Amino acid sequence: MTALARRRSRWSGGRRFALLAVLPATLVLVALSIFPLLYSLRLSFTDQQLLSLLPARFVGLANYAQLLQDRLFWSSLLVTAAFAASVVTVQLGVGLALALALRRMPRYQQFLATLLLIPSILSSSVASFQWRSLFDYSSGPLNFFLGALHLPLLAWTADPRLALPSLILVDFWQWTPFVTLLLLAGLHALPAPVFEAARVDGSTGWQLLRYQTLPLLRRVIAITVILRLIGAFKVFDIIYVLTAGGPGSTTESLAFYNYVQGFRYFSVGYSAAMSYVSVILVIVLARAILGYMERPVGRAAAPDATGEAAV
Amino acid sequence: MMDTAPMSRRRFITLGARAGAAVAVGGAAAGLVEACASSPTASAGTSAPSGTVAVEIDEGQNASPFQWFNADMNSKFGATTNIVGLPFVGQYEKIVSEMMTRSSVYDVLVFPPQMLGDFVSNGFLTPLSDLGKESDFNLADVLPAYRDPNLRRNGKLYAATYDGDILQMTYRKDIFDAAGITQLPQTWDDYVSLAKELHKPPAQYGNAFLAARGFSYGWFINIFAALGGKWFTPDMKPAINTDQGVQALQTLVNLKQYAPPNILQIGYPELNEAYLNGSTAMVVQWDDLALKAEDPSQSKVVGKNAYAPCPVRSYMLYGRVMAVSAFSKNQQNAYKVIQYMNSSDVSIKDVYDPKAGEDPFRLSHLDPTKVKDHLGTASMPPAQAQSYVSAIKAGLTTGYPELSIPGAPRYLDILDLFVSEALAGSLTPSQALTQAASEWDNITSSLGQDNQVKAYADWVNSFHAAGVSY
Repeated sequence: MTALARRRSRWSGGRRFALLAVLPATLVLVALSIFPLLYSLRLSFTDQQLLSLLPARFVGLANYAQLLQDRLFWSSLLVTAAFAASVVTVQLGVGLALALALRRMPRYQQFLATLLLIPSILSSSVASFQWRSLFDYSSGPLNFFLGALHLPLLAWTADPRLALPSLILVDFWQWTPFVTLLLLAGLHALPAPVFEAARVDGSTGWQLLRYQTLPLLRRVIAITVILRLIGAFKVFDIIYVLTAGGPGSTTESLAFYNYVQGFRYFSVGYSAAMSYVSVILVIVLARAILGYMERPVGRAAAPDATGEAAV
Repeated sequence: MMDTAPMSRRRFITLGARAGAAVAVGGAAAGLVEACASSPTASAGTSAPSGTVAVEIDEGQNASPFQWFNADMNSKFGATTNIVGLPFVGQYEKIVSEMMTRSSVYDVLVFPPQMLGDFVSNGFLTPLSDLGKESDFNLADVLPAYRDPNLRRNGKLYAATYDGDILQMTYRKDIFDAAGITQLPQTWDDYVSLAKELHKPPAQYGNAFLAARGFSYGWFINIFAALGGKWFTPDMKPAINTDQGVQALQTLVNLKQYAPPNILQIGYPELNEAYLNGSTAMVVQWDDLALKAEDPSQSKVVGKNAYAPCPVRSYMLYGRVMAVSAFSKNQQNAYKVIQYMNSSDVSIKDVYDPKAGEDPFRLSHLDPTKVKDHLGTASMPPAQAQSYVSAIKAGLTTGYPELSIPGAPRYLDILDLFVSEALAGSLTPSQALTQAASEWDNITSSLGQDNQVKAYADWVNSFHAAGVSY
């Protein structure tokens, strides 16, 4: 076959159509995702400030070096880590317990699942305003009940020790149902014969959970953890509405601090560098979680070549 | 036919794909061009119909006067206003984000003078003197502290006053009388002692102040001013991390123990509520609290109040001015709206209405007989009106200026963060102010040291020229 014929063959028929078909989507992707991504990477190497009359300069890795010395960056990273660890752990534990309980109630499952969806479909801002009323010191229902029980009233979002746990509570209320539903879907997909065989072998309920359910569910758990981790790293709305990062900087998350630098101070170069550090952190964490969840944990749950669990 | 049919379909799909790609590329390119356009005529915003003036303002009570007078404006010069409300905290970033894209979504901008430096230096505003005559604004009647320093830059008139604003002490006269207190605090040490004496929780708190993130810096500066503090040295070295600064912040921290338990989450509405619900003996708050305190629909303490300037000096925190957006397509109508709202006849109906948040800014406003709402009903009894207006007058004689050089919102936000850190107990006052000063140095460097030194000198001189001690 000549070179010309090979070229014609390469660009003929279905191949040409396929390329043309993906072209619009590719162009949109390049314009709306790839270009901004590369542009922000370039920005992160400059000292660009939108409101400064001075021209932007190329500063190399100076923004990244400054991040290492920025106390507020580290404190916001710590706040984010504490928030993420708390919400992921608590939501996973409670979500799993609720999913297991729901699985035992097939009659009410659909109704309860629909009810559970309500907090997740609310906008975070709307939910935050509702919680703002609930947390109100003098007229909020939470303190009303504490008062009725003769317990001391709490300054939920005003006490530096309580502000972050209060935000965790809001996130717990909003996203635990979502975690429950994901895990419930995962539970439904587990192969029933595995459990029947284990029961025949005399496994107790705890043994079934520990040695069958959890190992078989770990991919779903991994995805759930990663989704909630990403959500926790992006947490912004509830902080903006409920605490504005305060008291002090006790609830200033990485996303909130990034917003302050980028959209309040318009230090777009520094903000871009911070965004890249956040993205890299999430990718590394997600990769670590996936790696951990995919490692072999013993014969009972080791997947065979077809991806089915070997029992 | 067997061959042509598939070919025809393929050609059709190919053409469709090409058209789709063209639309996508064209749309994206148009968006990019629009976003990057530097010409003021390249607008990304929605243009209002002729006669409708889009007014950007912090949403809520401060927007009400524009709506009250819509019918009158329409009959007088054929324009009505369309309010574009922005959140009180967060207003700056939203305005800047729109203006950076040369958006014509706003015709009139209503903002605090602290933002004027940034807006003028970045070309966001059209000078009012380019659109009409300065005499349209009866500037001689505007109180000097709210006049040139807040309205002019580089000799040009850019804005007209909408709202005065000064911090004022509002207190429960009945509680003071019952406690036998006849002498108002002359210093901040006196104020702390008084707060301690009157603190009987949970029935009565000694004092309250705005300690939530956003404006806590204002209550720090109010004390700092009384101790003789200055924002910067003439060469733009931060002057907040000084003995006066540390003492002022320590005083604010001390006041926290005689305040409601949720003090760190008390913002503007919560501070009003803490006083109006009768649980707090005295507060330092913006002067419009007085009108609300005497309004039975908002207050449980009607007739029990008196007003005084803050000890030593009163901080002229915030305030509002009106300006015409450089990217407005409706500048002449915008100018007329500003002229109308700023006029003595109309503004007197706003500044004493308890349902609005505006405060006196004209000499002609400072008359106790004019303390009426926009419909002409007296806003408070004559004795209270006398006390209120006297307190404003006395406060203005010791008024301390708010920073309004380029970068001011950023300097103030950083200061607010570190004041909040000290109030939360995360940092000592000294640590907090040292870190704030370090951040201020970074801001000054990023904006250009020489530019800032000149802007600060101009700002100081403008207040000296207005007779404000600084």
